[in-house]
Amino acid sequence: MRRCIATFLILSLGLAAAVMAAPAKPATITMFQLKVEIKDALDAYAAKYGAANPGVTVKVETLGGGADFAGALKAKIQAGQMPDIFVIEGAGQYNVFKDYIADLSDQPWVKDTDLAFKANGKVYGFPVAIEGYGLAYNADILKKAGVDPASLTTRAAYETAFAAIDAKKKDLGLDAVVSMAASVSGGMWWVAGQHNLAAYWGGGLKFDDTSVIQKALKGQLDDARFAQYAKYVQLLFKYADKNILLNGSYDNQVSSFAQGKTAFLHQGNWVDPNLKQLGVAFKIGYAPHAFLDVEQKGLYLFAPSWYCVNPKSPNAAAAKAFLAAMAGTAEGHDYMVNQAGMIPAFKSVKLQPKGQLSQALMAANAKGGNYGVFFGMLPDGAGQNVFGPIYDLFAQNPAKIDQFISDMKKAVAGLPSM
Amino acid sequence: MRRQSLVKVLFVLPCVFAFTMVILVPFFYGLFFSMTNWNGVSETTKFVGFLHFGKVFTQPAFIHAFLASAAYTAINVTLVNAAGFALALVVTGNLRFRNFYRAGFFAPYLIGGIVLGYIWQFLFNSAIPALGKALSIEALQVSFLSRADSVIWAMSFVNTWQYAGYIMLIFIAAIQAIPASLMEAAKVDGAGYFRRVFHILMPMMANAFTISLFLTLTTSFKQFDMNFTLTNGGPATRFLDQPVMASQLLAMDIFNTAKANRMAEAQAKAVVLFVALVAVSLAQVSINKKKEVEQ
Repeated sequence: MRRCIATFLILSLGLAAAVMAAPAKPATITMFQLKVEIKDALDAYAAKYGAANPGVTVKVETLGGGADFAGALKAKIQAGQMPDIFVIEGAGQYNVFKDYIADLSDQPWVKDTDLAFKANGKVYGFPVAIEGYGLAYNADILKKAGVDPASLTTRAAYETAFAAIDAKKKDLGLDAVVSMAASVSGGMWWVAGQHNLAAYWGGGLKFDDTSVIQKALKGQLDDARFAQYAKYVQLLFKYADKNILLNGSYDNQVSSFAQGKTAFLHQGNWVDPNLKQLGVAFKIGYAPHAFLDVEQKGLYLFAPSWYCVNPKSPNAAAAKAFLAAMAGTAEGHDYMVNQAGMIPAFKSVKLQPKGQLSQALMAANAKGGNYGVFFGMLPDGAGQNVFGPIYDLFAQNPAKIDQFISDMKKAVAGLPSM
Repeated sequence: MRRQSLVKVLFVLPCVFAFTMVILVPFFYGLFFSMTNWNGVSETTKFVGFLHFGKVFTQPAFIHAFLASAAYTAINVTLVNAAGFALALVVTGNLRFRNFYRAGFFAPYLIGGIVLGYIWQFLFNSAIPALGKALSIEALQVSFLSRADSVIWAMSFVNTWQYAGYIMLIFIAAIQAIPASLMEAAKVDGAGYFRRVFHILMPMMANAFTISLFLTLTTSFKQFDMNFTLTNGGPATRFLDQPVMASQLLAMDIFNTAKANRMAEAQAKAVVLFVALVAVSLAQVSINKKKEVEQ
């Protein structure tokens, strides 16, 4: 027992000495983020940054893959362990956490990006990456079926193309034309209720035109526009693989496309690593979600999440410097593109990502004429609890389009009181 | 004497402390938050009285979750206890390898609800439809989990598979505590097997029914983990002319409300769940208690 106490005393003395001997301004930046797929790359970059900046240590904690990140962040606040850098996914979370979000308007990277998180004219969030989507297609199958992907710019063109591919399903070895999941049970409500619905909010409009969703937030649906959109959803559901649509998981959906059992995939560029893992060798491209009667050629681009800095932390300045280095240095660019495989939201980055879909998005971004994605402006829970069940029900019976329209009209009318 | 009571108090203290900190304080804190507009983070909270309680009962989704929980509980209590009792009768009978069977029937209980949910999800969504296709049986080709009218039954089936073995153990202990002479005397008097079970065994083990009904009732009403992994609340169905989740039980509805940053409203729903659960389980225990036989 006595020896125990002695050891303890010596240890604590040693610790005290070590603390006193440390450099004058040590900063340990704590970062809490939710992209599981970039965890290793980010950890390595943080270690490298620490080595290059003596006295600075960056500790990254990752929680994601369907875990309740915002819930965990709340728990950290209650425990008095708010991280210096954390992630928000939209206006809903900004409003919840705004007491802990610093104004970043004076940061050097602000003028290098179009996708920073803004509220009341000020910049509050560092865009983690550009993500985006259209309707991904298997170029080999389309070629065999005699469909030119460049022609897919109206709903009518899709109707003809889907029918043509569906007729040759057996010869092409397909289960169905489209791989799309929309079920609540498979945890895939977001494909329909968030990403597909985003076509209605932003499709065919200018990149920063939020008029349609602003109207919805006041409880109004644009009937003529929505009628066209509903027909597009009906078309997708009609030609989708029924099992995947009604209870498939993310893996079911992606692997069906990767195995060549479906010609189209309703997913964003985040599936690139999955497709690589599944050994996809065929050529892939993006066609636009063209739901209007008039031509639409753009893809949907957005920053799905932003890094925010906690102004109440003594390390806030060091945290801002860490983010600035990520956006502004060659090491930072290398990390974002080559290590983490993301499309950076900064125009000064010249590196090219490796994934086929990411490359397609980058090309579209360079070309312009793309559409914004605004579901982050909706009240929290609207996608999962309100729109999710409506799409699930429509998927069960795609003939009931009038019911779908009236359900959505009612749901949108309820948005202001959410 | 005084010294002794001090010792008693000291022994009880850690338990009382832990109980106060993790049960009592959060409970009353929660009760308070259910009457505010707290969102989980904000430092300013406003007292809003019973606003949330009035609001939740106008939401079709919540009413449906409440009714679905009640239906699930009713089905589950019946199935689990019937299956547990039947298994207990089998493995207390004259049977070779009966310890092996006891262990086998109990084993599913040892698998956690999360894992179990994923295993059965695979069976329902992939294995059974594949079987249906191979045997060309139309009814099996669509997953039971994607049909709004069968999903609650599928969940109850999985829960019975998991929980019946545990309830069986309680029944076995009760059956073994009944003097063998009673059963033998009845047999000599000419009572058949079912007569002996219904008129001697069941009344004599009424206290075991009190316990197991209480356990199944409360666990079914609070069901979350298996609900979350097996069905995730899906599929959607129509209720009071609004699309709602067919298999979203109360606990999951509370969870999803909290996840949408409506903490106070979720807390109000949790209070409703608590009150309902206390009312039903008190009624159940007092009814069952009256049927117990003094030995």
